[in-house]
Amino acid sequence: MHQTLLTVAIIGYVAATGLALAYLVQREELLHRLASLATLTAWVLHTVALLALSFDLGRPPLASMPEAVSVAVWVVVLLEMWIERRYGLSVLGAFVLPVALVFSLQSTPTRSLIGPTLSGAWLWVHIGLALVGIAALVLNFAGAVMYLLQERQLRTKRTGTFYYSLPALATLDRLTYRTLAVGFPFLTTGLILGVLWAGTAWGSVFTFDPLALSSYVAWAVYAATLAGRAAGSWHGRRAAYFAIVGFAVLMLTLGAGLFLPGKHGG
Amino acid sequence: MPLFVAGLSHRNAPVELREQLAVDEGKLRELLGDISGAGVVREAIILSTCNRVEVYAVADVPGEARAALFRQLCRHRGIETAPVEAILYTHANGEAVRHAFRVASSLDSMMIGEPQILGQVKDAFALAQSCETVGPALHTLFTQAFAVAKKVRTETEIARHAVSVSFAAVELAKKIFAGLDGKAVLLVGAGKMSELAARHLVEHGAFPIYVTNRTWARAQEMARALAGTAVPFDELATAMAAVDIVITSTGAAEPVITREMVQRIIHARRGRPLFFIDIAVPRNVEDSVDSLDDVYCYDIDDLKQVVDANIRERGREAHKAEALVDREVAKFLARLGDVEVIPTIVSLRERLEAIRSGEVKRTLARLPAATPETREAIEAMSTAIVNKILHAPITKLRESSRAGSSRSWLELVHELFGLGRK
Repeated sequence: MHQTLLTVAIIGYVAATGLALAYLVQREELLHRLASLATLTAWVLHTVALLALSFDLGRPPLASMPEAVSVAVWVVVLLEMWIERRYGLSVLGAFVLPVALVFSLQSTPTRSLIGPTLSGAWLWVHIGLALVGIAALVLNFAGAVMYLLQERQLRTKRTGTFYYSLPALATLDRLTYRTLAVGFPFLTTGLILGVLWAGTAWGSVFTFDPLALSSYVAWAVYAATLAGRAAGSWHGRRAAYFAIVGFAVLMLTLGAGLFLPGKHGG
Repeated sequence: MPLFVAGLSHRNAPVELREQLAVDEGKLRELLGDISGAGVVREAIILSTCNRVEVYAVADVPGEARAALFRQLCRHRGIETAPVEAILYTHANGEAVRHAFRVASSLDSMMIGEPQILGQVKDAFALAQSCETVGPALHTLFTQAFAVAKKVRTETEIARHAVSVSFAAVELAKKIFAGLDGKAVLLVGAGKMSELAARHLVEHGAFPIYVTNRTWARAQEMARALAGTAVPFDELATAMAAVDIVITSTGAAEPVITREMVQRIIHARRGRPLFFIDIAVPRNVEDSVDSLDDVYCYDIDDLKQVVDANIRERGREAHKAEALVDREVAKFLARLGDVEVIPTIVSLRERLEAIRSGEVKRTLARLPAATPETREAIEAMSTAIVNKILHAPITKLRESSRAGSSRSWLELVHELFGLGRK
């Protein structure tokens, strides 16, 4: 049941992505409305699918990589819809939904995310917080990409499609800053809980686990960006480049969790 | 429906001819009075702007009416009829409807999307109304044209992007800063165009305004005009460090703002973008300035390029607008048929209603004992009878007008029901 629902939801996301991209290029209001409708419908189906899955499993759907990724996509789409409305950023979907779609196609055969030794409420909190953090950073990435595109339009003085469809630089810079400011604490708390777990469960904080190591690197990149921003010296283009680097490392992290053997994998 | 529009515009007539033919309000009144008095047309509206002179009219013999109208017009303006006749365009019925919609929506304007034309069409309509040359057909057509124009404006971006250099500067500033509220502006040098750009920025919330000039008196004068503050010319760099937008327009032969100057202030700005609008020729801002981080520099050619792109953008939006107009024309034509028969339908209804209510009144007067229920039942029954009788003739009238053969049917209905002369 949940599998069917999930498949339909993913088809919905595919449609929403196509419509959002078409809107970006065509700037037809109708396309935007259809994209929003498709996004909302797919997200509702996704919600039901996740609930059904939780009932079936009798636990939060966070214990395998595909499960966790699916929840992350759910949070990403929720944030996308909220920020789009809140900031009137009608093109946001075109930059966020493709990422969400790539994520949700990651339904590799179920591999357990957590070792057999681990369980308990704190573990769910660790995973849940890290996922919310990652979701916010997906939006951070989208904001950075939009910033760089618009910045390029204004700098090269060629007013093409993006000049017309993307919002102002100041708006995009604020978006990347805020998503980082929200995502980072979640990521940090999630990581700290993870480290504590590592200490108690694996016996050492610094064991070799690809996912953990890679996520420390991602954390460091984001920490540096945030510190630079707060100090006032990093902003605009530089902050956007770092947002993209941080996101790339984050993707490596997820890749490590999906494909490399380690303590996060079964 | 014998509706037509005939005239000339910037598309087919040189400006010399257009200005010869353009008519002012007083003459328009006279002209409208003449043509309706002569009985050439049943309805008429004359639209006269610097880009077009057009007559929208309903006449039994359109060709004859058109010739008579323009003969009158030329006589009023004291010019030969033949050369005007030779270039006139004429659109009839559906095409006339489309033309009216396109003109009101600014799709036929020299600058697509310009806002004045709708006001001019509204004025022409009001003038014709006061001369009593607007009948049901033109009334319906023009009210619908206003609605279509509004729809085009809100549903497409035809009028959204700036098509003048000074507005393009404002648009760019908004793409950098989002809102302009509280953004400080520095004017370097005085000039009409920079003053205009500064005014547009102020209208969008920019504040405060600083003005500097090599001539101190000129700086003070300009500062007064813009409700700003004059700054001595040797404090240019300091002032630049504090503002967000710099408009330069001095007559200097060498750049007034060098890369070195900007580089020195950039650190203290902590990432706040700085936008140079360089209207001067030769340019006042050194070429290499705009490769600095968070600095955007647009010279006059760049601004013109933005304007050109915006004009192309309007053209793109115009395609959407044309499609919208097409749909509206189709919708309107389905209704327009009714326009001609509506007065007859109304008087037919009024006639039968008068008979019905008169008879009901008489009947009820003879039935003093009737209960409210009985009275109501009699009212309801008589109304139902009238509606049933009317159904067939009204449907037939509507159908015939859509098929374009309403005239004989209208006469027949008038004769049969004794509605008086149409």
